[in-house]
Amino acid sequence: MSGFEEFAEEAFSLAGIAAKPEALKGIRVLELATRIFGPATSDYLGEFGAEVIKVELPLRGDLMRYVAPQGFFWKDVSPAFLPLNRNKLHVAIDVRLPEGKDLFTRLAEKSDVVVENLRAGTMDEWGIGYLQLRECNPRLVYAANSGFGQWGPYSQGRASYDATAQAVSGFSAITGFPGHPPVKAGFWVGDYTAALFSAIAILAALASRRRTGEGQMIDMSQAESMIRTLDWTWPYAGLTGKDRERAGNQDVALPPSGIYRCADGFVAVSVRDEEERAGLLKAVGPASPGTGSTGETGALPPERVAAFTAARTREEILRISEGAGFSAARVVGGGEQYNDPHLRARGTVWELDDPLYGRIDEFGPGPKLSESPGRIKWTAKPVGYHNEQVFGGLLGLSPAEMKELARKKVIGKWADVPGARPPKASPPGGPGKVGGGSIAG
Amino acid sequence: MSAFADWARRATDPRQAKEKPEALPGVRVLELCPGHFGGMVAASILGEFGAEVIKLEPPGGDPARMYAPEGISIAGTGLPFLSEARNRRFVTLSLENEEGRGLFRRLAQGADVVVTSEGAARMEEMKIGYEALSRENPGLIFLALSAYGSFGPDARRRVKDADILCQALSGAPYIVGEPESGGSPPEPHQAPTRLGNWHAWFIQGLWGAFGVLAALNFRSESGKGQFVDVSGAEALMKFADYNVTWMHTAGKARERVGNFDPAVFPYTYIRCKDGYTFIAAYNDEAFESLMTIIGHPELTRDPRFSTPTARVRMENEKALLEILEEWSTTRTAGEILREVEDYTSRKRGPGAAVVTGRVNRPLETLGEANWWERGCFTRVQDPVYGDLLLAAPPWKMSGTPARLQSVCRPPGADNGEVYCGLLGLSGADLDSLSARGII
Repeated sequence: MSGFEEFAEEAFSLAGIAAKPEALKGIRVLELATRIFGPATSDYLGEFGAEVIKVELPLRGDLMRYVAPQGFFWKDVSPAFLPLNRNKLHVAIDVRLPEGKDLFTRLAEKSDVVVENLRAGTMDEWGIGYLQLRECNPRLVYAANSGFGQWGPYSQGRASYDATAQAVSGFSAITGFPGHPPVKAGFWVGDYTAALFSAIAILAALASRRRTGEGQMIDMSQAESMIRTLDWTWPYAGLTGKDRERAGNQDVALPPSGIYRCADGFVAVSVRDEEERAGLLKAVGPASPGTGSTGETGALPPERVAAFTAARTREEILRISEGAGFSAARVVGGGEQYNDPHLRARGTVWELDDPLYGRIDEFGPGPKLSESPGRIKWTAKPVGYHNEQVFGGLLGLSPAEMKELARKKVIGKWADVPGARPPKASPPGGPGKVGGGSIAG
Repeated sequence: MSAFADWARRATDPRQAKEKPEALPGVRVLELCPGHFGGMVAASILGEFGAEVIKLEPPGGDPARMYAPEGISIAGTGLPFLSEARNRRFVTLSLENEEGRGLFRRLAQGADVVVTSEGAARMEEMKIGYEALSRENPGLIFLALSAYGSFGPDARRRVKDADILCQALSGAPYIVGEPESGGSPPEPHQAPTRLGNWHAWFIQGLWGAFGVLAALNFRSESGKGQFVDVSGAEALMKFADYNVTWMHTAGKARERVGNFDPAVFPYTYIRCKDGYTFIAAYNDEAFESLMTIIGHPELTRDPRFSTPTARVRMENEKALLEILEEWSTTRTAGEILREVEDYTSRKRGPGAAVVTGRVNRPLETLGEANWWERGCFTRVQDPVYGDLLLAAPPWKMSGTPARLQSVCRPPGADNGEVYCGLLGLSGADLDSLSARGII
């Protein structure tokens, strides 16, 4: 074992994570968002120790609760909702009512960050936008996530989802095969990409606030986030006046890198430099029988790589690549990832024991930090699950006050429908007693 | 435009950025990522927020300068490199011998962040690994980027990290593209499909920057640096929705469904007179709105489409797509947008959540005034690399906006400034290092 491996075994031990400090401890994030863009932004911060208070409308809550693959709910919750909402405290406030606005504002006074993804200007119309909240909390970092930004021709009244950003940015036009329609990525990449950009801006704004004490507003557009990720598309268009075309599974910047069919699935073959190209050439063999590969120059056409991979399994190609000096990797899906010992050893497939749902495996934190690692402490909870903990513990409301607010429908809990409610089989031990997380007002 | 939108524009217009302070002044980043675009992204993001980035290239230039789609390069540098070489200083350094490594150690002593794609084992071999550097600089944040990560059973696999490898391992292509239709052999496009840009490299870089910023926050409290390990595969994997959760709860792996969606419908691209446009309406109220817009309000009572669960049965998704395209193929994408907006602007609330947007080719995006008004693109006139069109930082911020300050410089262009300015070397030292091929 090398010195680094010894270091890593200690520094990245999954068993050691719970006892280590958290990178974003002490940062409170108030989320008023639905579906993916906003919730993912605060999920990313919560994984590293920020305390996230997720505000939903009473009864039905975040509409993402009802986005269920093939209509499937597990223990009355959608598996698509869980991985976006870990380590959060769930409260339900009708922020459209005057007393609801007041409650939200009082929470914002005690928060470091607000994350929202309503249509541009909606929060301001409701009286709880950045301009109103900064009056009572000038240190507030406010992330306004939206499809097209808070100002400009496309910003007013126009809604957006992930695939709007995929479509209008040019991303889909360069994804897919020549002669076939543009491809929409089968996952909500326009949401997550923008959410990560938003989380990064929040951390940058917090870094600035450490020096100045001042908060600020971040205007984050989904479409503009995707535009930023299209690498040479823009200088190419600027220089040639031409559209970058769909290139199917070929990476035309690093030929003949690409995804290739093999005997038992698909494999990625990668060639980053001359050394790797020579290695691949050696493995693929000469263009026609009888001619040696020595001294062969020019491009190695993808068709020859395809013929080489078609006859072999993924594992054979990986083994050959290691000997020959080019790079290869399996094309894997969720099934293989779920059962992958490497991903489990890294906590990328995170084995969670949730106090309400029991064992549930989800994606763990992305970056692995040796001193202040991220962690999944609990998964998403029913609508209004932490009302007492937050309104009582943080705002100091008495049980009688909460009861009165509930009677006026200012605060509330879950509707009795799958997606919103606790699992029928294992009713909660009582509000505030489960779900992890403690609050000190 | 509303009063709030007016305020937001005044407060966050990127054209005002250079008059405002930066978010990360005084943070010094050393980038040691030859041939690696993900590392460039991580450093660019920090640089756009005002960190001082020093990129170290092997003498002769970074191999990534050679990446040149269609063979296009300017002054020896390809367009991919030029798209991501912003806001940094360019220094050459060979790590082949002890003297070069010594210079690296001295630079790392004065740095806050090292970003590297060189592999933890190789860095250790060269005696510039995390443990060695952090002994001399305990506050150092060391970001390691790789395909599999620096630890775990597969960490020893010998690959040169690249976007296509990270995409493959992320599970993204597996759920992107057309399923096989049963023909033998399957058609080439009925395959797991790569995202057309270097999305894995981008997301690896973005998670790297996120990790560094989280670590800087921790250091401000504790004084401690740390090792931040980012696998490009895992970076993008985290975006693959509920892949793992669905396996756990239902024992099902997601498969490719083309432009359909297993969890929400309609949520797809539809053909129109002038190409394709996105159409979504994914709750009952929005679905009713959409059916009214296309003149088929009765379909909300059709058992194939009357509930969200019925609408995501694949045969019903296909039937609904046909109905939608009967309507959409007689209209342009612009006409569809106007019809949707006319309807939804009258109807606030959940029913307004019918969403559309043209599937733009890049030149079509560039042709829309909106993005230029928002400052998403910049044309820069560079003395070496000429007239370049670049994507600007995507954030609009009122206090400490990100900004694009420079495009690219030739290898070693900033050697004097960095080695003499930061390390106190003399001109004669530089000449000697240069003569011996170290810089």
